[in-house]
Amino acid sequence: MNVLIVEDELRIAKRIERMTRDIFGSTLQSLKHINTLHEALRHIENSELDLVLLDLNLNGDNGFDLLTKAVSESFHTIVISAYKNQAITAFEHGVLDFVPKPFNQDRLAQAFNRATSKEKIENSKIRFLGIKKKGRMQLVPIEDIIYIKGAGVYTELFLTDGRKELHDKSLEKLEQLLSYSFERIHKSYLVKMSEIKEINVSSGSKYMAELKNGERIPIGRTKYKDIKAKWL
Amino acid sequence: MALVPDGQIFWSRTKIDILKAPETLKPYGLRLEVYGEYEVFWDGVLIGKNGNPGQEADLPPEGKLWTTFTIPAHLTNAGEHVMALRLSNYYYPDHIGNYGLKIDYYDDLLTDRLIQNSYMHIFAGAFLITAIYFLFLFLGNKKEYPALIFSISCLLFFGLTMTHFVKTTVPIHYSLHVVRLEVITSLMFGISFLIPLYFSMQFPYPKWKLFLGIYAAILLFIFSIEHHLFDLTILNMTLSLLLFSLCIAVFGVYKKAKGALLVLLTLLLCIFIRHYVSLNISLFTGFSLILLNMLYLLSLRIKEQRLAYENSLVQSTRLRLELLKKNIQPHFLMNTLTSLIDWIEEAPKKGVLFIEALAKEFDLLNQIENQTLIPVSQEIALCRAHLEIMEYRKEVNYSWEEEGINPEQKIPPGILHTLLENGITHSLPLKDNSIKFKLHFESSADYDCYTFLTYAEIVKQASAQRQEGTGLKYIKARLTESYHDQWELTSEPAHHGWKNVIKIYR
Repeated sequence: MNVLIVEDELRIAKRIERMTRDIFGSTLQSLKHINTLHEALRHIENSELDLVLLDLNLNGDNGFDLLTKAVSESFHTIVISAYKNQAITAFEHGVLDFVPKPFNQDRLAQAFNRATSKEKIENSKIRFLGIKKKGRMQLVPIEDIIYIKGAGVYTELFLTDGRKELHDKSLEKLEQLLSYSFERIHKSYLVKMSEIKEINVSSGSKYMAELKNGERIPIGRTKYKDIKAKWL
Repeated sequence: MALVPDGQIFWSRTKIDILKAPETLKPYGLRLEVYGEYEVFWDGVLIGKNGNPGQEADLPPEGKLWTTFTIPAHLTNAGEHVMALRLSNYYYPDHIGNYGLKIDYYDDLLTDRLIQNSYMHIFAGAFLITAIYFLFLFLGNKKEYPALIFSISCLLFFGLTMTHFVKTTVPIHYSLHVVRLEVITSLMFGISFLIPLYFSMQFPYPKWKLFLGIYAAILLFIFSIEHHLFDLTILNMTLSLLLFSLCIAVFGVYKKAKGALLVLLTLLLCIFIRHYVSLNISLFTGFSLILLNMLYLLSLRIKEQRLAYENSLVQSTRLRLELLKKNIQPHFLMNTLTSLIDWIEEAPKKGVLFIEALAKEFDLLNQIENQTLIPVSQEIALCRAHLEIMEYRKEVNYSWEEEGINPEQKIPPGILHTLLENGITHSLPLKDNSIKFKLHFESSADYDCYTFLTYAEIVKQASAQRQEGTGLKYIKARLTESYHDQWELTSEPAHHGWKNVIKIYR
């Protein structure tokens, strides 16, 4: 685990640091604390990270820029904030969890557990996926996404208007965030259930999902039963 | 020029053509306005006596200026008649002549005037009540000079009306009539000055005191030359009043002042009226229109004041809430509580000190929460308590210095505290992990000046411009609340960190 803490209250940063060490124990490879927005943006750009713990109010700046930047990256983001009313915005942008201050170690462990156990979270609030396009952040509305295809460490988002966008998160991480409306029907595909028109079996017992736009996507042999049940 | 000196008797004869004989049992009457004491003869028959003609020098004044007599019915057949006056004028021998002669049914002569008078008294009474009402308004708020001027104008107009119509109710000997005319002219002088003064205050123009001074001089000049020609004096004063007020109203319209257009139209209407009806009627209608206008302007101002007052109440409440909110807004409260939990878990004794610091700040805030000005010493105590809390949260060595402070000096609550919060939020500690704040006070003849300095490294903002935060808005609103526009606030980077200057002008 490579963890970054972005927090401008030193005492709280120390607290998060201490608890993080406690929770991850030996699985923690690196832990860094940064207290300004500017530095945090630079650090995210240049480091391999697995998890970022983010305070949204740094030195009087609202951390919206930082949030969009963070959620478009390959790592999961957990927001730790004094403003509970920011939770909705945070979830809409696809953070893994929102931990309100004041917090204790149990609450933090629960959030970390989501990151490590690959447990699916029922986040019905997520509305966007952040993508990077020509060096700028863009938010893709979830309702525009039909399915997502894994492409190595990246993923490809297939949109209703026929466009294709690259996203930095892995298919596993997206599956976690999008499990409310999307299903992993194949090791390389994450499909929005409402977009499936038909499920059929072609010759050689190949299972295929036919989408409303006519595209056909393979269904994993092991997943067929589950998917069929859920779809029905 | 004395035509008949020494109060000697002389005769005046007037031929009168009666076109139609009166109805039976309804005699004609005769109304006269003649200077002097006299006997009236109609076709050689004595029909009335007013004073003692020819004996004025020996007897005290008797009779009155306005008289009404009946004419015996048998002497008023259609045809030519002669009215003769046996008259002496001891006091104003240069005012010989018949200033008023009216023949009508005797009853009508009496009642018409009474009816007219009763209307005019109601009219005058309305202005008297208005004058009293606005006088009380002024006494309630001694800064409301327009209300006072309006009140006096109404009172003068009341006086003018009463004096003008006094002739029916109070018998005046002709020798005393000049007193009535003097009173009327003086009242007119007062009104002629007050109305432009009022408009000048409502629609201020550059150097208005100077212009008003010049106007007063012109008015005095008109008042003093040809003073004995009362009608001319009154007419000239009225014209100057209209002209000057018109200029003010035009300027007001040009400046888009509220109500100026209505005033302008009213003044034009007055000039129009003056052209078409007699001086007396135009005087009364004109003045009542102008006074109504003044009343309208006053009501506009009163409404504005009420709105401003309501606004200030809302604003004060809002500021008070904002001050209270400082310590319960989530950023402060939740971060403080999180740090506090951590201190308690890790170092309970320090945690207790932290709680005490927190208690101190809450206590201080409670003391100042409902005030608009507090001693600066109290504000500094609040700042120090806040720094203590922040030291536990941020683990930075904060220090506080002050210079030239007068502890009793008053300032609005929470403004230095807000500057301090901004300083803490936007700063990173220097290399030795310290941030210093310094408050400097100096006082000069024109202003008091607080300089608040932050010695730290200032955080670069992600967004290019630093927006005006709610903090600075709060400070500005507080300064406006207590000092209106007599203050100045600058907030800018300095080589050592940040510099805020608050100047409060005297």
